[in-house]
Amino acid sequence: MHGRPRKPLKPEDAAASAAKAEKLRVLQSQFLHNHHNHIYSKEAVELSTKLLETNPELYTAWNYRKLAVQHKLTENDSDPDSLKSILDEELRVVESALRQNFKSYGAWHHRKWILSKGHSSIDNELRLLDKFQKADSRNFHAWNYRRFVAASMNRSEEDELKYTEDMICNNFSNYSAWHNRSLLLSNLLKRKVEGFVSKEKVLPDEYEFVHQAIFTDPDDQSGWFYHLWLLDQTVRVDSPQLVSSWPTPGSDLILLGDRCLDGCASSPFTRFHLDSRTFPLVLYFNQAVEGVNSSTITVDSELNTNKDLVWKPLSSCNSKAAQVWVTQLNLPDGNTHSSKVFPVEDSSPISSLYQLSIKNDNELTDFEWRAATIAKEIDHFRELLSLINCKIGKLTLARLLMAHDAMMCPPANKISHSEEVLELYNDLMRLDPTHVQYYKDQHSLVLLQQVTSNWESLLSRCFHYSNSPSNRGSPMCLQLKNLSLSRLGSFDKLLWVQMLDLSHNELRSIEGLEALQLLSCLNLSNNILGSFTALEPIRQLKSLRALNISYNEIGAHSIDTTKYLCSSPLSHSVGSEWNHGQTVIDDDIKSYWEAYFILKGLNLTQFDIVGNAIVNEKFKSFLIKVLPGLKWLDGEQLH
Amino acid sequence: MEPDTEPRGTVTQREQSMVLNDVNMLYHIYATVPPIAQTLMMELQRKNHVEYLLRGLQQLGPSFCSLDANRPWICYWILHSMALLGEFVDADLEDRTIEFLSRCQDPNGGYGGGPGQMPHLATTYAAVNALISLGGEKSLPSINRSKVYTFLKCMKDPSGAFRMHDAGEIDVRACYTAISVASILNILDDELLQNVGNYILSCQTYEGGIAGEPGSEAHGGYTFCGLAAMILINEADRLDLAALIGWVVFRQGVEGGFQGRTNKLVDGCYSFWQGGVFALLRRFHSIIGESPTPVDQRGAECSIDNTQTTTASDVSEGDGSSDEISSQGDEHCHFQHREREPLFHSIALQRYLLLCSQDPRGGLRDKLRKPRDYYHTCYCLSGLSICQHSWLKDEDSSPLPRAVLGPYSNVLEPVHPVFNIVLDRYHEAHEFFSRS
Repeated sequence: MHGRPRKPLKPEDAAASAAKAEKLRVLQSQFLHNHHNHIYSKEAVELSTKLLETNPELYTAWNYRKLAVQHKLTENDSDPDSLKSILDEELRVVESALRQNFKSYGAWHHRKWILSKGHSSIDNELRLLDKFQKADSRNFHAWNYRRFVAASMNRSEEDELKYTEDMICNNFSNYSAWHNRSLLLSNLLKRKVEGFVSKEKVLPDEYEFVHQAIFTDPDDQSGWFYHLWLLDQTVRVDSPQLVSSWPTPGSDLILLGDRCLDGCASSPFTRFHLDSRTFPLVLYFNQAVEGVNSSTITVDSELNTNKDLVWKPLSSCNSKAAQVWVTQLNLPDGNTHSSKVFPVEDSSPISSLYQLSIKNDNELTDFEWRAATIAKEIDHFRELLSLINCKIGKLTLARLLMAHDAMMCPPANKISHSEEVLELYNDLMRLDPTHVQYYKDQHSLVLLQQVTSNWESLLSRCFHYSNSPSNRGSPMCLQLKNLSLSRLGSFDKLLWVQMLDLSHNELRSIEGLEALQLLSCLNLSNNILGSFTALEPIRQLKSLRALNISYNEIGAHSIDTTKYLCSSPLSHSVGSEWNHGQTVIDDDIKSYWEAYFILKGLNLTQFDIVGNAIVNEKFKSFLIKVLPGLKWLDGEQLH
Repeated sequence: MEPDTEPRGTVTQREQSMVLNDVNMLYHIYATVPPIAQTLMMELQRKNHVEYLLRGLQQLGPSFCSLDANRPWICYWILHSMALLGEFVDADLEDRTIEFLSRCQDPNGGYGGGPGQMPHLATTYAAVNALISLGGEKSLPSINRSKVYTFLKCMKDPSGAFRMHDAGEIDVRACYTAISVASILNILDDELLQNVGNYILSCQTYEGGIAGEPGSEAHGGYTFCGLAAMILINEADRLDLAALIGWVVFRQGVEGGFQGRTNKLVDGCYSFWQGGVFALLRRFHSIIGESPTPVDQRGAECSIDNTQTTTASDVSEGDGSSDEISSQGDEHCHFQHREREPLFHSIALQRYLLLCSQDPRGGLRDKLRKPRDYYHTCYCLSGLSICQHSWLKDEDSSPLPRAVLGPYSNVLEPVHPVFNIVLDRYHEAHEFFSRS
């Protein structure tokens, strides 16, 4: 889609160019005539050659040539000499067309087509590629074609790896070469080719290689991006792992009254209040997984009368994979007033949960060098930063430190680096105003990680709210307000939260919050949420009863592009969701479809929305219709 | 890579530093001239741009022979630029354009690069967007939707991705143009969107951006195409959006403009391809300074850090009122002056576009020393609009003066970021195609 490079036009050339264009137009109409009438004579094909050598963009002419070749091949039935000369001519035309414009999609594609006929030699193709890759070492058409040739002509990946090395040594800013190197190495490691059996052996050399580039000129981006890939290769554990769950492993849940389950005093974070006859079990994985069901997860529970629990992925689209999986456990009837212990999540079911995170020996032995490698890199970049002030170096150091902390999780007597990382992001915000919002988001994530890293820190932010303090098992509210959060994270540590105060932050979205399945009260007031669709995660929070979104910016933006991120009557791929229930409040849906879409399935009893641009009397009456269970609206009791 | 024996810097670095010199010199000049000259330099030269655009539409100059397979594109670049500037073409020119594009329409569906050429997905997208940018009772009905549908079906590869044209290449561009056309013409169905998402997903690289085809490196144009297509088929969250943002954020360089790929030179057209990604994700905000948040009536009794009075009081009581959560203690009064920076630097980007990309004689360009052209005019203006409309106060208002660099007359029409069509025309087309 990008405009091809064109030579600037000098005035004195204009006349000549006009004449040339006229000639070209004549040629083109002749060509189209030939094409439409299936004329493949020698003269006709030559005409298309002339045309393509001037303008390789004429994709119709490339297709015409394919037809002409087929035509000639059927005529000259299996004569190898004529086959060769026909295809040689095609190769020649492509090459001269590429000389005219080496970014022509049609020309490169035609060459692939010729090769699929089993013609040309690898040396020939590499010679051609060499020429074009020298002329423009970042030409992605040439790199794509190179990968195609190497794969289809069985050139060894080691040879290609060597080629990237040469290219990099020639110009270490050439990111295309670094990129291809990452692909080749991934493949070699995956296939466990000799010499590439373990990352432990291969990656140290790569780190050294990239250090040369980075330390030669720390301001050059290419090496840093390759370093990012190396870091990812170093920390990545391929099999999915269960990061956390609710209830927490090894804890008993006690049904205290008909409305309260309490953890067996072992931890305050297993207390649970419920106002329905079901409560959720939540699994949180480190990556999206599929196939969680009653045959892959065993839950032993006295409560679990219906043996086949239905596990559901929490995802906003209808995807089968999700990071968070939920099932609902039913409480039995009766037993409503006697305290009784239900060992819902005893050690046995938890151990079966943990079977999911199969840690094979390989990964365990790997751990040593992974950790050592990261530690070494941290030292390297601390040293670099002590010499020069380098933004991307600070960012890399921040990422390395976070990777280090994550690897040491749980932080068994290890000192967390979060303070240092926060300081790095503060620095970056000052040094690099262009990317300040990104750093701010990262800062928020690190801050949340710090707050949630241990129980003491979490407890210091928990408060009880109750009219009667003696009330056994009154709920705890986690306060994360006034932290300048612009993004949310660390949900795996917050699965137990039922009341959450995120007010007075700078949130524009609450992505990921759907993981907190126990949430019953949520305060998002005084943030900068711009629309109802930014609240999409709360559609999945079935326990939510009180929601405060007052003093945000809902309705203040005329172009709400988030609406394309969630299903709506405007997005043609969804429809079914909109077919029912529309009759009730048909007119209002038109004006407030976003609000309707978000609030429809919720059973809110309290809702605060004052201080948003969208609020007026009409909207309030719409809210009362769409939320029939509502008892309090903006602090006023409804009748 | 022997640092000592090499000449100073790589080729890439020398080119980069040349560009940076140019840009810095211009920024320096701007900083030192008197304010009245500054205003002039920052002004969008509307009249000259319109003249330049109209010239292109009336007679596609002789130098455009190399684009002869791209004529609908030229129509779209020019008509969309005109629409962004809030200008209309006269009836005669409108008729001629519609007539010309109709001749590009293949009898079996889709639009080719010119009359008689094979239908092609990119030119089909360009023709459809051009006709929508024209708008009106003649333009929209000239599109043969059922034939376009047939064409799209033919371009669908068994893998789920799309081909550019019969026997043509498969890539993310093809997926986006197909899905965009199908969506806006209201002919998108399950069959067309089947497995498109899998293909696009396979093109996201470890860098975070999206490549043209699997194995290739991340690229601004394809990242926009891939994300926009994923949004249209409602599968955007299958992408690693955090990584995508991380990649695109750092494509904005010190010049203020965006580069298309890692360690490439800045280019004005990526103002839209990369800047548009932020618009798509709605993660940007302009600098707005003090927001006029209304202060709550109960504000007087508020306390900023009173932990005993927050949203909820009690959900656990056994009696009938336990579900009601009093909000008496709710506090709203912690009034903050929030300086909100955009996730990309909107003002810096506008500065690059107006000072470096703008040719004062009309038209916009890649960078200084490069010639203007219609492609760059279209995408530089689209990027400028994205910047200006990154924050709006309410439904009917125009952008805040602080969000707009230069005189307020620089404000362009807002665009629908998924299709890159001016919002009004999008609404007109959407209504027209949902009727039938």
